[in-house]
Amino acid sequence: MPVAEATSPTRRASLGWRVASALLLRREASIFVVAIGLMAFFWFKNHVFLEADNIKNITETTAPFALVAAGEVMLLVSGEIDLAVGRTFALAPAIVYVISSQDQYGLPIWLGVLLGLVVSAAVGLVNGVVTTFLRVPSFITTLGMLYLLNGITLHLLSGSQQFMPGGATFQSIFGSQPDEYALFLNSEFFWAIGLVLLVQFILTWTRWGLHTVATGGNLLGAAESGVNVRKIKIGNFVLANLLAGFAGIVDSTRITTIVPLQGGPDMMFFAVAGAVIGGTSLFGGVGTVIGSLIGVGVLIILQTGFSILGLNAFTFPIVIGLAILASMVATVQFARLKNLGKLQ
Amino acid sequence: MEIDDLGESSSELPGFDRAGLLKRIAVGSAALSIPALATAQGAFGATAAGGGGNYPKHPKWKFAFVNHVTTNPFFVPTQYGATDACALVKCSYTWTGSTKADVGEMINAFNAAISAKAAGIAVCVVDKSAFEAPIKRALRKGIPVVAYNADGANSGPKARQAYIGQALYDSGFAMGERIATLVSKGDVAIFIATPGALNIQPRIDGALAAIKQSGKPINAVAVPTDPALDVELGKIDSYYLGHKTLAGMFAVDAGDTQGVGQIIQKHSLQGKVIGGGYDLLPGTLDLIQKGFLEFTIDQQPYLQGFYPVIQLFLYKLSGGLQAPSDTNTGLLFVTKANVKPYLTTKTRYEGSSSAQKYPVS
Amino acid sequence: MSTNGGEALRVENVAKNFGAVTALVDVSLRLGQGEVVGLIGDNGAGKSTLVKILSGFQRPDHGRIFVNGKEESIRSVDHARSLGIDTVYQDLALVPSLSVTHNMFLNREVTIGIGPLRWLHNREMRRRAREYIEAIGIRTLRSVDAEVAMLSGGQRQAIAIARSVHSGARTLLLDEPLAAMGAKEGEMILDLIRDLKEKGHSMIVVAHNFIHVLEICDRVNLLQHGKITFDMATAETSAEQLTDLVAAEYRATKKAKPV
Repeated sequence: MPVAEATSPTRRASLGWRVASALLLRREASIFVVAIGLMAFFWFKNHVFLEADNIKNITETTAPFALVAAGEVMLLVSGEIDLAVGRTFALAPAIVYVISSQDQYGLPIWLGVLLGLVVSAAVGLVNGVVTTFLRVPSFITTLGMLYLLNGITLHLLSGSQQFMPGGATFQSIFGSQPDEYALFLNSEFFWAIGLVLLVQFILTWTRWGLHTVATGGNLLGAAESGVNVRKIKIGNFVLANLLAGFAGIVDSTRITTIVPLQGGPDMMFFAVAGAVIGGTSLFGGVGTVIGSLIGVGVLIILQTGFSILGLNAFTFPIVIGLAILASMVATVQFARLKNLGKLQ
Repeated sequence: MEIDDLGESSSELPGFDRAGLLKRIAVGSAALSIPALATAQGAFGATAAGGGGNYPKHPKWKFAFVNHVTTNPFFVPTQYGATDACALVKCSYTWTGSTKADVGEMINAFNAAISAKAAGIAVCVVDKSAFEAPIKRALRKGIPVVAYNADGANSGPKARQAYIGQALYDSGFAMGERIATLVSKGDVAIFIATPGALNIQPRIDGALAAIKQSGKPINAVAVPTDPALDVELGKIDSYYLGHKTLAGMFAVDAGDTQGVGQIIQKHSLQGKVIGGGYDLLPGTLDLIQKGFLEFTIDQQPYLQGFYPVIQLFLYKLSGGLQAPSDTNTGLLFVTKANVKPYLTTKTRYEGSSSAQKYPVS
Repeated sequence: MSTNGGEALRVENVAKNFGAVTALVDVSLRLGQGEVVGLIGDNGAGKSTLVKILSGFQRPDHGRIFVNGKEESIRSVDHARSLGIDTVYQDLALVPSLSVTHNMFLNREVTIGIGPLRWLHNREMRRRAREYIEAIGIRTLRSVDAEVAMLSGGQRQAIAIARSVHSGARTLLLDEPLAAMGAKEGEMILDLIRDLKEKGHSMIVVAHNFIHVLEICDRVNLLQHGKITFDMATAETSAEQLTDLVAAEYRATKKAKPV
């Protein structure tokens, strides 16, 4: 037996301190602090920022990006990326239109939504299979899909905006933009929160999530341990596209219109930026879904805040770009400080 | 989030009924007198602070313009118009929306304007249903809303208080009539960047109706291209190469109009193929002067920024007594005969210069 | 060292090609119960391939494998594990961003739940992980929640070994356990291996350092040209002889070159 060097077990600190440090040391802490800071800043500049109307506006705008980001996080953690989720965001409601619109087949709305989701999952399946079995890097696979899906969507919608089908009940459950909001907030936001929490749970508390982290953190090692890395990657592609398709259906219901070019690569970049500043690594193995929700929220807070302050639309992108860089630097530095404390 | 990408969509106008139009022209021309009155008082700044012209002191109201193609050059004169009007009445405006006609982005910008308590909102209603609920919400909160450049569905209830812009269908009809005079028979292609888009589709509808009504043996076809300027040209070229017997090529949006002219120039088709379209892109004006295009239609985008500010301002100042009213910003055919002043001047009204000059040339 | 006479593992005439490249030609090897066999050979000789075949990560093109005397066709890593064979790879197969606990239980997780809805039983896994760490004699680890990225090479190696041991494997395949390790940590691992042997595990250890091989192995096998060309008890050979054997071929080709 090796010589035992008796080290006393760590003393259990007080409960309050433990909870506080557990929260502070979480990956999401840094972006959360940034979010709170920004909200305080904008409120200080114009109290209107934290009024009910604006909160509704921020949550409504954040919801679809949060859904797309949640799926991208799972993919990024597993070591892949899907550049075309923004197109699935447009394709799914286009399918709903073709199936359920009175101008087209006129079938019941639930059937349209079901098929829209099935098609979204199928897109993910194709992306996953081409990437894992045909060994095409996911960047390239989904780059090709970007164009392919756009073309299909344009065809389905005859190149122009169309009215989103769905009656009043459907609308109130799935993201309507009613005159008076039910429960204060738009229902799309509740869907976003719920699904974000669900996906976070999957990532942190299930075998699937653990295997996802392993696949991204050490692909060969995970495979050697017997993890079915192909299944993990394909499954996460399906998940990401399902979420994006759902987000598209819900958001199109909110604005009552399907626009062929809605979402797109802009949306994907925005969601990925939110995920990255929220604590997800582009290199795999590390990620947080709740962090991506906060990250996207930060970007929307910036956009809304500066809009209220009267910033010109042309200056926006400059500000957003700088904000992403600054948040990224802050997050990285914060994490470094954390890790220095953790070293033995 | 707006990242500049293809941004170029047609910045066109919606349409509405003729009778109403004539009624409102009267009011619209009354509005024209305001700037005249103001300048008659002398340059702004000479009067007491906070008023503008004859007006009493008032808060510096901030109006929100929500646009569908914020970076499209067509709207540069619109922004100048809004700037000048704001200077007159001592208010200010913000310019937001989407770069690529993303209705969702526009609605988010619209809602942001509501929560920021904008004094008034001017929005391009490029969708027939999506804007109804947000507009109603703004009105309920006491924020006046006018539509400019695009006015949603041709029929049915509209929540906005007034529309300021060009009559879409009517301008298309006028173009169709002109096409019928220029082309006696044959195949004619009318290019459209985003078919179905409520800001340009009615134009083609009007043109096709006028051509049909003329009774001439003209076979007119609507051909979709692309919202992106660089792609439009390639598509027009390919279409021509596949249909070399075309008698005329026309367009209902700025980018396609210039593209048609460029293709006619490229293949030296002047005299063989008649071309024409909308808006005053510098390239288009040049092509008219050189004879590659027969005409273009001026929508006077400057007025589309100017009048909304004035109308919203009067609504606020009078506490709602002076309501916004529909205003036709006019339709003018620019041909080789009258293109010269447009070419020789660089003016704020066309967006080719930001200088304030009188006289313009 | 005495064995109980039984065989833990035996391979006969195993061959493996990767397209045009022949990794293994005709390999026959025997591992007795409770024995430690060292597998040596020059770089690229095919040692890792042989290990991957025995561990279930790859299938042989040819040949027979016997586990505990019974012929088996090893289908997968999970299957090999069910037969009591586990592997500690050169790269340790550890995920840097995961904790010691989660690495320990990767693909062998303990779950809790209701019906088909199952999630990770972290508390139980942590408890067991602490047990295993202690059982294997690692004293310097502060917490099983530490990220593996924070640990030293020796600690990681030990954890990888602990993982294999506690998955119920009796036969362990260790691919270069001492690579890139300093003297002190190397000693710790050697002690660990000796300890495991005492507990009755049979092991194949792939190594380059012949001193180490002679220290802990009962026998040593040389893999050359896709075959086992040398199989001798370590007591009957020396480091010099082993070095000669491995380098002999290289020297022969050197001599054959025209001047």
